[in-house]
Amino acid sequence: MWLETVLAIGMVTSAVFAIYLKETVSSVLSLSTMMILLAVLYFNLNAPFAAIFQLALGTGTAAIFLLAGDSLTKKSDLKTSSKTKFVGLIVSAVLCVPVIVGTVATASLSASLDLSISSAIWEFRAIDVLAQGLVVLTAALGVVILLKEERRRK
Amino acid sequence: MDYIILSVTILAIGIVGLVTKHDLIKMLIAIEMITAAATMNFVVFGSLMENSLGQAFSILALSVDACVTAVALALAIAIYKKLNIRDVRDLSEITETSSDKETQTVEEDQK
Repeated sequence: MWLETVLAIGMVTSAVFAIYLKETVSSVLSLSTMMILLAVLYFNLNAPFAAIFQLALGTGTAAIFLLAGDSLTKKSDLKTSSKTKFVGLIVSAVLCVPVIVGTVATASLSASLDLSISSAIWEFRAIDVLAQGLVVLTAALGVVILLKEERRRK
Repeated sequence: MDYIILSVTILAIGIVGLVTKHDLIKMLIAIEMITAAATMNFVVFGSLMENSLGQAFSILALSVDACVTAVALALAIAIYKKLNIRDVRDLSEITETSSDKETQTVEEDQK
């Protein structure tokens, strides 16, 4: 129980730091810390595959993408007004408080299937995996087209 | 229930970041946070019901999330290279100015 509490506190703290730190590099490092703690939480929940994917994609790839994006662009010095901050707090409260207050009926979901991870991915959700491949290829094509367009203009 | 509160807290921090920050990279970080909070629910519910389907869905969601980040970042870099802008407010100002110009030219053509 104490491990989960420590992980939760660490995750929330690093999430706040990731949003409110001024330097983008520090923000990305905080986000990576949050993702690593999330992966530890997954290991603790007996979900090793999800944890490894979280470490590889959520932590590694996202951090590399964001740092590359930061190094390729230059930051402006405009500041956020207090009105915008207040609106942000109101929006997040409206979206999130009902979930905390309301009860989640997990009992109705308990009719579970007994599947291993490999059969869940390759048999039960095989169409999803195929569609996923299509999504990844389309995304890769989109990125290549976007960056190639810039080179052509130059 | 504790895991749901943790997930919703991270979701709330992500939404606050998405609304209050105007830097494109910071907004992407907030989006990453929101998707991590959403993906956490798959694993938590799958683990509570001792079902590996939650892990399978989380793996699929993480892959799509990486694709979304890559495309959004490519768009941000393309916008920066073309307009030299990284702030969303500057981008909306440019869009408003260009739409005003378009309406002016349409009105002039009608006259």
